[in-house]
Amino acid sequence: MATQPPNPVPLWVEQHAGRIPDPVERLRFLRLHASVPVSAKPWSLKRSLLWVAAAVVSAIVPGPIPTGTAETFAREQRLLVPVTNQAEEASTPASRVWRVDYSDTSELYSNGLRIDLTFAVANRARAPYPILSLAGAATSARFGDRPAGIVYHTTESHLAPFEEDANRRLKQLARNLLEVIRRERAYHYVIDRFGRVFRVVEESEAANHAGASVWADSQGIYVNLNDSFLGVAFEGQTGAAEEVSPAQIAAAKVLTEMLRSRYRIPAENCVTHAQVSVNPSNMRIGSHTDWAGAFPFARLGLPDNYAIALPSLYAFGFEYDDAFMRATGTRWKGLDLAEEQIHRQAALNSAPAGQYRKILQHRYKDIAAALKEQTEGGT
Amino acid sequence: MANKETRRGGLGPVLGLDVGTSRIVVARREEQDFRYESQLNAFVTIPYSKITEGVLEREKIPHTVRAGEIIVHGNESEKFAGILNAETRRPMTHGVLDAKEPEGLHMIREILASMLRPAAGDGKPERQKLCFTVPAAPLGAQDSLTYHEATLRQILSDLDFEPVGINEGLAVIYGELESSNYTGIGVSCGGGLCNVCLAYLSVPVLSFSIPKAGDYIDASAAAMTGDRANRIRLAKEDSFHFNGFFADKVHQVISVYYDDMIRSLVAAVKEAFLRTSNLPKFNRPVPMVLSGGTALPPGFRDRFEKLLWEQDFPVAVSDIRLAENPLYSTAKGALICALSDQ
Repeated sequence: MATQPPNPVPLWVEQHAGRIPDPVERLRFLRLHASVPVSAKPWSLKRSLLWVAAAVVSAIVPGPIPTGTAETFAREQRLLVPVTNQAEEASTPASRVWRVDYSDTSELYSNGLRIDLTFAVANRARAPYPILSLAGAATSARFGDRPAGIVYHTTESHLAPFEEDANRRLKQLARNLLEVIRRERAYHYVIDRFGRVFRVVEESEAANHAGASVWADSQGIYVNLNDSFLGVAFEGQTGAAEEVSPAQIAAAKVLTEMLRSRYRIPAENCVTHAQVSVNPSNMRIGSHTDWAGAFPFARLGLPDNYAIALPSLYAFGFEYDDAFMRATGTRWKGLDLAEEQIHRQAALNSAPAGQYRKILQHRYKDIAAALKEQTEGGT
Repeated sequence: MANKETRRGGLGPVLGLDVGTSRIVVARREEQDFRYESQLNAFVTIPYSKITEGVLEREKIPHTVRAGEIIVHGNESEKFAGILNAETRRPMTHGVLDAKEPEGLHMIREILASMLRPAAGDGKPERQKLCFTVPAAPLGAQDSLTYHEATLRQILSDLDFEPVGINEGLAVIYGELESSNYTGIGVSCGGGLCNVCLAYLSVPVLSFSIPKAGDYIDASAAAMTGDRANRIRLAKEDSFHFNGFFADKVHQVISVYYDDMIRSLVAAVKEAFLRTSNLPKFNRPVPMVLSGGTALPPGFRDRFEKLLWEQDFPVAVSDIRLAENPLYSTAKGALICALSDQ
């Protein structure tokens, strides 16, 4: 009886296994990391991505591994149970918003949203992005091509006092900022301090807003969110006396409603740059700390997404430092949930949490390398 | 009969169980050791008498009294069969439960119960995990194992275990090929079947069985010599070796059929590997390990190796080795599998 051939296993798995002296521990490690049957098609980059996706899942969701007997083998090819990592609050459904009117320079929506198109610019088309499966070793990654979420940023640009006397300077700063953002293709939308919403990069295209980043939802794990998430930037500075104006918050609320309605974006995928940003060079989160705290989720009609377990921690073993904790102000509940999840997974695998975290970090590096290869190869 | 092998590692309230046609072996981890208990998977019926029953009770010989007869099972059945000049009966044939043996289910349940019963004073945890071996399907027959596996699973569940099946060849790999990260070919030469499995980093890639094994040798030689198969088996296990000259007919005939069995096994392995289109490309030659009671005679490994090297084998084999303890390696692998599931 021929079973399906095994996947190519990263060399580090074999090397690491070879250093485990106890036969039981060695087998446990290998059964966790090397048992991902796939079809017998020629090896390709896409398969590489699929494999690492499934491998991530095997690391995230430990469980019994098929042992290869007749009935047993078939039974144990089951899907593994996805992790639960969502915020306690239920995802609020998006209300229906539609476009009422439009011209070459603006669009008007049914919830009062008005979008200025003066600075709109083309960028590269959104590439299909992998959604790394949470459904278990038997399920491969799939690919998405529509925006799956929103990342909120601040522009961290120069600000003038938000006063009537500073009108001219406020407008000039906004214009200069938009010129820069258009040149950089940095965000899909910018909300200036008067609450005006500017589309910069077309929604059908990718913006350079998220860089190295990680998020996850019930569909799977997203890595590097430029293609999968829309970028919305508030003109503002973290820590400024008036971080954002009430007009900006009102505009962000209607913009969020429109985008969620158009792309059926779940509320838990409306997150801040600080929540998704990672630094692969030191394997720490918070490479960018805009909206590390005090994001007005409730005023935008969203649940407190700071309470969502941080996928970069529990899926890829990223860590955080004191500087990041200072940036958050109040400690996120999601950090604690992610830490609890790591310790639970480590215990299930009879591994110290630190060792388990290292394994997860290897996973991230494999995936990041495959994504880089994909990007550079243009596939 | 208990055997002890010292290893490092932690404890786990789990068991490994090799359910073979000829023998049943239980592997446990106690303190820092692997321990084994083996019983013949056989029984014999003797006429009932109070005296006999008393002797059996006094000697703690596993038996069952029913309908005017006594059924002795396990290791002692062979001795009684010799005394009575009768054949032992077997609950299993060709690696699976023998549906034609009316006492088969009852007897295998009795044997398993006697072996798996916790020692006096030992508290057995609820639903103790137990990994038991299941043969691979014979070449060309995919679905012949469901009844066997499901029945064993039911028996073990009734005995309050949480049973998990493992392919017999894979268990050999788990028991013996730790040094190659559980990559290689495991061959279990048992009584009813020879089981073969190829695994890559613990993942089973190919597994199958062939029905020519120890019983085939016994039955064929018995037919030639007119002896009982049981006597042939004793001669085979006690004094047979390869590369020797035998003056007596029994050993000569055993030699012929042993050779036939090994040739058939080598040919089947080669054919199965050739017919499998998706074999992984190994970056280095892989080891092959031989285990099981039929692999015990001195010279078996050498004979197997000679015949294999004569073939143009489709997988590069680094070395062919005999299991450290051929009778227990399958149970040990099942135990390691169960421990790694914890």
